[in-house]
Amino acid sequence: MNALDVAFKDLLLLLKDRGQILLLFLMPIVFILAFSAAFSASEALEEQIIVVPVVNLDPGGEMSALLLQNLNDDRGLQTEDYDQTQAETDLQDETIKLALIIPAGFSADVQAGTQTTLRLMYGSAASSSEVQAVRLVVEGVASDLSLETQLVSGLSQMGAMMSDAPPEAQILTTERIKDQAESQFERAKTAPLVALSAKWPDQILMGQEDFSPSTFSVAGFAVMFAFLTAQATATSIFDEKKEGTFRRLLAAPLGKWELLGGKMLPNFAVAILQMVIIFAASMVLLPLIGMDAPSLGNSPLGLILIAILVALCSTSLGILLAALCRTESQVGGVSSVVLWVAGLVGGAFIPAFVLGDFLNTIGKVVPHYWALQAYNDLTIRGLGVADILPELGILAGFAVVFSVIGLLRFKFD
Amino acid sequence: MSEPILIAQDLHKSYGEIKAVDGISLQVARGEVFGLLGPNGAGKTTTISMLTALLEPSSGKITVDGLDLKAHTSEVKAKMGLVPQEMALYMTLSARQNLMFFGRIYGLKGKELRQRVDEVLEMIGLTERADHAVEKYSGGMKRRVNIGAGLLHKPDILFLDEPTVGVDPQSRNAIFESVEALNRAGMSVIYTTHYMEEAQRLCHRVAIVDEGKLIAQDTPMALIRSLGGGVVMLGVAEGAPDDLTERIAQVPAVKSVTRSDGQLKIETQRLQEGLMGVLDITNQLDLRVTSLEILEPNLESVFLNLTGKKLRQ
Repeated sequence: MNALDVAFKDLLLLLKDRGQILLLFLMPIVFILAFSAAFSASEALEEQIIVVPVVNLDPGGEMSALLLQNLNDDRGLQTEDYDQTQAETDLQDETIKLALIIPAGFSADVQAGTQTTLRLMYGSAASSSEVQAVRLVVEGVASDLSLETQLVSGLSQMGAMMSDAPPEAQILTTERIKDQAESQFERAKTAPLVALSAKWPDQILMGQEDFSPSTFSVAGFAVMFAFLTAQATATSIFDEKKEGTFRRLLAAPLGKWELLGGKMLPNFAVAILQMVIIFAASMVLLPLIGMDAPSLGNSPLGLILIAILVALCSTSLGILLAALCRTESQVGGVSSVVLWVAGLVGGAFIPAFVLGDFLNTIGKVVPHYWALQAYNDLTIRGLGVADILPELGILAGFAVVFSVIGLLRFKFD
Repeated sequence: MSEPILIAQDLHKSYGEIKAVDGISLQVARGEVFGLLGPNGAGKTTTISMLTALLEPSSGKITVDGLDLKAHTSEVKAKMGLVPQEMALYMTLSARQNLMFFGRIYGLKGKELRQRVDEVLEMIGLTERADHAVEKYSGGMKRRVNIGAGLLHKPDILFLDEPTVGVDPQSRNAIFESVEALNRAGMSVIYTTHYMEEAQRLCHRVAIVDEGKLIAQDTPMALIRSLGGGVVMLGVAEGAPDDLTERIAQVPAVKSVTRSDGQLKIETQRLQEGLMGVLDITNQLDLRVTSLEILEPNLESVFLNLTGKKLRQ
């Protein structure tokens, strides 16, 4: 069949172009390694303990000791005693990024019910996220301390008022009320009525605890680079037209659709091979740099179907680009903008749900979004082929639309 | 007489307001080398494109070997070979790889394909360099591969569109010899060129094309003979008598005299005799001759005579 002859010839041309081969197969792996390492670093940052220098001008005070104990109590902070003068100097020198000042008389003021203020000083070296994190923790601890102290004080006053009541009415003594309140506060710290769980939404949906950034980034870049073969398809057609071989082929007993089919086939094969190599290489290379291998889910058939439809979409898009662009440089320019932006809004670089409602909605008009939804359903959520049929249908729809418009607008002259 | 291998009737091709081809009709006999001669932009390539089904005519009909081109496109394409003006080859592939690919496109396979590729490589003199990338070849060698790719399937009719542009004289001669050898073997050829000497050497008949129209069609000798003995373009100083034209027309060897761009265009039946007669008159009248150009009888002067333009501007 002539389409196969055209395809075989294009593959032969590709094999002679080493630069193109490096671009197609090596560049995606480099991107994945870099992005996965960046994701991993940000996760590590989230688990990092923030050391907070503390200038305690209320040494020996009961309340300041309690404050420090609570701050160090598994909240992501670790306090470090600091001299005030040294703290001011080191902040200026940027030896330290921030410092917490417990004012003199802190304990006495808290116990007396007098308002007092903790000071959090920070320099330009402190990132806003660090300052925010420390501020929230300190505010939380200070608020708990205030509440506990004020409540116990209030209950003690009530107990004192009841001490004038007849003995048979004195069921709740001051000591009993205080003990009960303190016991409740202890329970609130260890077994709160309302807790907070901060996870990726996908983990909540399917209860998986071990979300791997590499699973996400490998799928994202596999889809991204597979769609970049659309540019290769369009460029290949322009090259044939420029060299005059397109005209020669049209003069031969070769149908127009055979000719276009022959141009699509090798790029279809390359897109699939690219995705296979990206996944396979990631499974081998990522663990070597201390990262998790990407999950492949439980449905190999699902993965194959997604790869086929992504490749089909990509090559159809290539025909559309060749039909709509007038010159080879237009192909390059349009592809750069359209394909990379589509990858971005489709969630290839950053998960779609992180992009915000607006971009998340826009993302649904590009095939990348649906390909990634399907991949994430299989590899992160552990779903099967039946569950991704809607996404596969949408991808097939994109391929049909691209093909129809591309073939209708294609100029063979 | 056998039926012509190609008949084109009243071909038109317009691009909006622009008429690229305006009513060209021609017939090519079997075994004939038929030339399309004209300057750049005359409509030769557009005509070839329509004849090879690359372009759909705005109107007109084309028949090849009795088959209507529009109704039997695939069948007709199998009978035709095209050697385009541009070097339509895959430069990073070798000559052999190029020929193998184009041979497969025309339905050749396996042993037959390999044998035919070897034959063509031998014919174009590139057997020893067959496995080198085409991009490493000289211009002449590339042209030969370009021609070879059009011959693989042994077409009944071969279209050569300006095959010697940018080619060194040695390669050019090799191309001429190839065309002549192919024609001797029975192949019909349509050959477009703007080189008069190529048309004169190779073509049995020539159609002269200009501005999309076919302005003359005949054997090269007949076209040249129509010019008579030659054309003299004579410029004279101001002050020539009003009856100068009539006087020159009286010279026995002169066929006609007309004014053209401030000069006198004198068509002669016998060039030397006509020229002597004209110069006698200018001497008698004591006229100063400001310019004198003699257009020897060839296709270039035929073209100039018909259009007032040169083949190569």
